[in-house]
Amino acid sequence: MRRRRRRGDDAQAVLETALVIPILLFLVCNFIAVMVQVTVQEQLNSATALAAQSRFQAPENAIDPSGTRCCGAPGMSLATAGLPTGCRYAAETFYGTMTTYTGLLHWLRATLCTSGGDSGNAAIPPMQPVAYAGSPSNAEVSCDIGSIKPGGTVIPGYVDRALNPPAGLNVVTCSASASLDFADTPLAWGVFWTPTLHAQAEALPPPFRQ
Amino acid sequence: MGGEFEGVVRPRRMRRSRRGQALVEFAVVLPLFLFCLLGALDAGLWAVQTSAEVSAVEQAAMVASSAGSSPTSETAPDAHAVLTSISGRLRSALFGTTIKSWCTTNASGDCAPDATQRCPTTPAEVQDVDGPRVVVVCVSEADPPACATPPPGQVAPYPPGCEDSPMITVRVVGFVASFVPPGFGPGASGFELPANISATTHTLRFAP
Repeated sequence: MRRRRRRGDDAQAVLETALVIPILLFLVCNFIAVMVQVTVQEQLNSATALAAQSRFQAPENAIDPSGTRCCGAPGMSLATAGLPTGCRYAAETFYGTMTTYTGLLHWLRATLCTSGGDSGNAAIPPMQPVAYAGSPSNAEVSCDIGSIKPGGTVIPGYVDRALNPPAGLNVVTCSASASLDFADTPLAWGVFWTPTLHAQAEALPPPFRQ
Repeated sequence: MGGEFEGVVRPRRMRRSRRGQALVEFAVVLPLFLFCLLGALDAGLWAVQTSAEVSAVEQAAMVASSAGSSPTSETAPDAHAVLTSISGRLRSALFGTTIKSWCTTNASGDCAPDATQRCPTTPAEVQDVDGPRVVVVCVSEADPPACATPPPGQVAPYPPGCEDSPMITVRVVGFVASFVPPGFGPGASGFELPANISATTHTLRFAP
């Protein structure tokens, strides 16, 4: 009877350990995953803000010539060759900054896609951002140009030279969304969710430009 | 007789074996508990420090890229100047870590202009030069290729991007101190936290 009780106690201890250790590891994995998510979100915010700002780093006459549409042609590489200068600057800045933790996490890369154009007289309706053809559906980055009315209302999607002479462009809004995949990391053992991250940033022209 | 003997001795033995079992359980659980506790604390610390590094690098990139946009300066600032602009933000988060600028200093203590100067790409590279628990701030500038006459069938500017403004990269890289004191990890830098954050953008040039 006593031997049976002792064996029962031992079995209970083993069972308790077998239950507690996976739960503990599960909690630790998820805690680390949340920390990683926070960190990558910070990185995404930063890359998006710099991308928006960098559209103004291009020479003023190189930004958004008439009919600008920054979405690349199907099959175009991330080198962004052939894009208008302002769009290319934004793309190069975004991908140049969004470089860390890509090995640790299965970061779904996308290319930059920008819509908009120079209406010249505001007659052409705003264009909506269009996803780059080669972009994974859950990882898109877009930078939208826009004009600001005197009251402060942002008109997204096009440059209005009549409203904002002489350049027309006076606000850039970049946004990026992506999903993090922990499948290729040891965290995959206890992390069963795929967080979706989103960042948005606006930039206004600096006082001095080339 | 045998029954009495059993009745007296077995509970004592059982008590002793239970005490032994508790000790073994404690010896197994304590390292696991400490591992989880320090792991969670270090993960939290890593997130806080990385967040500070990311925002500092973003600010540094903006400072470095717009240095030439003011009428009083025409070139990108050196690593000393960039570090000065972000040191307050970094020092409050990276406690126990030395923060330095990565450059060759000249006689007056400023960063010597050196076109071949390159940023370290891994925390280990910094540790080899400056030792453990040191983070460096590095600024590097990449100029576009020189423009040339386009060959037949190509359009100017050639090669593409030759008229671009230089690209500037600010990098914060090194090993950061963690909650686990030195000597308790496997090796000198066993539980130090690696930091390697960079931001890249085009420079803005002033034009009157």
